[in-house]
Amino acid sequence: MRVIIADDEVLLREGLERLLTEAGFDVVGKVGTAEELHRKVDLTGPDVAIVDIKMPPTHTDEGLVAAEAIRDSHPQTGVLVLSHYLESRYAMRLVEQHPGGVGYLLKERVSDLAVLTDALARLHEGESVVDPTIVSRLVNRARPASRLDELTEREREVLTLMAEGRSNKGICERLFLSPKTIEAHVKHIFMKLGINESGDDHRRVLAVLAYLRS
Amino acid sequence: MARGSRLAVLTAGLAFGTLSVALARGEPDYSFGGTSAFGGAAELIAGYALLAVGLVAWARRGEGRLGMILLAASFAWFVLDWNNPGDGSAFIFTVGLVLYVAAPPIVAHAMLGYPTGRVRAWPNRLGLAVGYAGAVLLLGLLPALVFDPNAEGCAKCPRNLLLVNGDRGAYESFNRIGVDAGLAWALLLILLAVGGLLRSTPARRRLAAPVIIGGVAYLGLVAADFFHSLDRGFLSNDGVDRRLWLGEAAALCALALAVSWAWVRGRRTRSVLAGLVVELAESAPPGGLREGLTAALGDPSLQLAYPLGDGRLVDGRGRPAQLKGEITPIVRGDEEVALLAHRRGLLDDPVLVEEVAATARLALENERLQAEARAQLGDLRASRVRIVESGDAERRRLERDLHDGAQQRLVALSLALRLAHSRLLPDRDPAALARIEKAETELRTALAELRELAHGIFPAVLADEGLAAALEALSEEAPIPIELTTAPDGRFDAPIEATAYFLVSETATHRSAGVLKVSAARRDGQLVVEVEGDRAPEQITELEDRIGALDGSLAVVRAPSGRVTIRAEIPCES
Repeated sequence: MRVIIADDEVLLREGLERLLTEAGFDVVGKVGTAEELHRKVDLTGPDVAIVDIKMPPTHTDEGLVAAEAIRDSHPQTGVLVLSHYLESRYAMRLVEQHPGGVGYLLKERVSDLAVLTDALARLHEGESVVDPTIVSRLVNRARPASRLDELTEREREVLTLMAEGRSNKGICERLFLSPKTIEAHVKHIFMKLGINESGDDHRRVLAVLAYLRS
Repeated sequence: MARGSRLAVLTAGLAFGTLSVALARGEPDYSFGGTSAFGGAAELIAGYALLAVGLVAWARRGEGRLGMILLAASFAWFVLDWNNPGDGSAFIFTVGLVLYVAAPPIVAHAMLGYPTGRVRAWPNRLGLAVGYAGAVLLLGLLPALVFDPNAEGCAKCPRNLLLVNGDRGAYESFNRIGVDAGLAWALLLILLAVGGLLRSTPARRRLAAPVIIGGVAYLGLVAADFFHSLDRGFLSNDGVDRRLWLGEAAALCALALAVSWAWVRGRRTRSVLAGLVVELAESAPPGGLREGLTAALGDPSLQLAYPLGDGRLVDGRGRPAQLKGEITPIVRGDEEVALLAHRRGLLDDPVLVEEVAATARLALENERLQAEARAQLGDLRASRVRIVESGDAERRRLERDLHDGAQQRLVALSLALRLAHSRLLPDRDPAALARIEKAETELRTALAELRELAHGIFPAVLADEGLAAALEALSEEAPIPIELTTAPDGRFDAPIEATAYFLVSETATHRSAGVLKVSAARRDGQLVVEVEGDRAPEQITELEDRIGALDGSLAVVRAPSGRVTIRAEIPCES
């Protein structure tokens, strides 16, 4: 898989490149600014771009803006935004903008090869990726009595995986359950929470995230 | 001016007039006022009118000099009839010979110097000097030196005390030149008076115009008489001269009336100002003095400002003031109490400024003290806001430094560990592998803790996206349930957003607070934040200080149910 890394921190760029190369990825570019990123993407047309949320010049949300631009101009290129912020609204903003192919992970995930490669693979497939920590915090947040309390343990697991952006197939693999069982769980969950079920994976992520954030 | 000397001058003036008319009536053919009762009355009325306003002005503050000039004009007016052959007194006759044309330059002097009696502009001074020289030297003293009445065939004329050498030719020459010059200087003085009036400010023009009109009418008649005398080469008293003279008497009466009218008007201004003081004594809103003075002086652009000890200028409410237009200081002792900015020329009259200062002094002093106190209060408030702001800025900077510095390095370090990890073969060095794995776990914990710490210091989402977003984020991470009922759209000033946010986050740190109900909304220029929970935050004093610095208020209400509502109101529009 061909990957571009955009981060203004050299050490991180180099380290990530070596790690990904060793894991069998083809790193076709390393850049430090959003401007260079766009040029490199135009030139190489990678499968996935890994983008830091804060880049020069303002160090605020250049990464999110760049992600949106890349998804518009290169629909074949997935974008993984790395961030220090555990804010669901940034993840939500990203997922809302584009149906699939975008992801939001905490920056420290870069050293967790399993999570990283899983995320890159899913982005390449066109799925959405939301950091598990953000999702588990949303699921377990303190809230007044709600319909979530009616879910069984297994159903909560399925809900969490849906919120992370996984498809039914992905959920099957994670939980070692048959597709039929998962479909039944999903149906139950949506019924209990009062959400209209949608066949579209992407719209499902949005609906679940919006429910959890409200 | 002492009452005694005023009485003496009055008596002398009255006697002078009577004497002059008596002299005139003694030899009517050679007089102006002696031919008829009407002429005598005209002479007396004009002279006494000048005497009266002269005496009053003499007694008034700032107009003493004008008064003396007017008194002099009154005497000179009478002296016209003193060079009468029927005088019977050489002294009176001689004075008459020298001063019989003295009145026109003196009247011009009063007019050009009005209202203080001082003539400042050099063209005016020069014009007056020429006038005095032409009237008293060329037509008075010089001919008198060479005029021998007996040699001229005036047998009953008294002796000319100044006679040096009778010289008919020289006498006629002096008179001829004097009349020519007289026409010139009379016209020159008219031009100076009219030109000065046109150039002066509207207020001054309003004040001086009646007096100038009277004076110019008088000088115009004098000039006409000089013109009438050009052919004959000397001044005399034929029918035309007499009619012109009657006109002069009327013009002088008008001038005296004009001077006294200005006093009446001044009194009216003063009574308006006095009413103002009474009104202010009853109720004086801060800055109210300006309104009052605006009404009293009729200038809506009027501004009032007070200089503070540190050199700043503030208005009646203690806010920084910038004055536009002409500025008149109001001085007490050596100190400038206040500055009035106004339409050009509004306060040209020093007497009026004096009146304003005197009438409004107490109110001015009062308002100045209030303005000073308010300005200091404003300073204090501004410095408190600055303290809050700099504290927030410091928090924000710390948060960024943690993210961009420490956190970034730790992530790079975790990558390095990961690479080292992947190069180790599990069977070759299991101990090293275990150590690296432990280090990686520690590092992950450290990163999570660092992120929490940075977020707690100052949430980036608050600075980047505002209060509503930050409260929403808070409700996701707080240890207790938060029910956010309303959150305001749009942004507020950074200290206001931070204060509202910390009010909620401080309350939400206590697990025993139960479910928190939070609402924040913009209402009537205020950001109103209400937090309802089971207990109040412990750091309430710190929050009160923050809110106080922003000029807001904080109230804690305990309901009978035990629930506590904290309500903060923070002004958010300036």
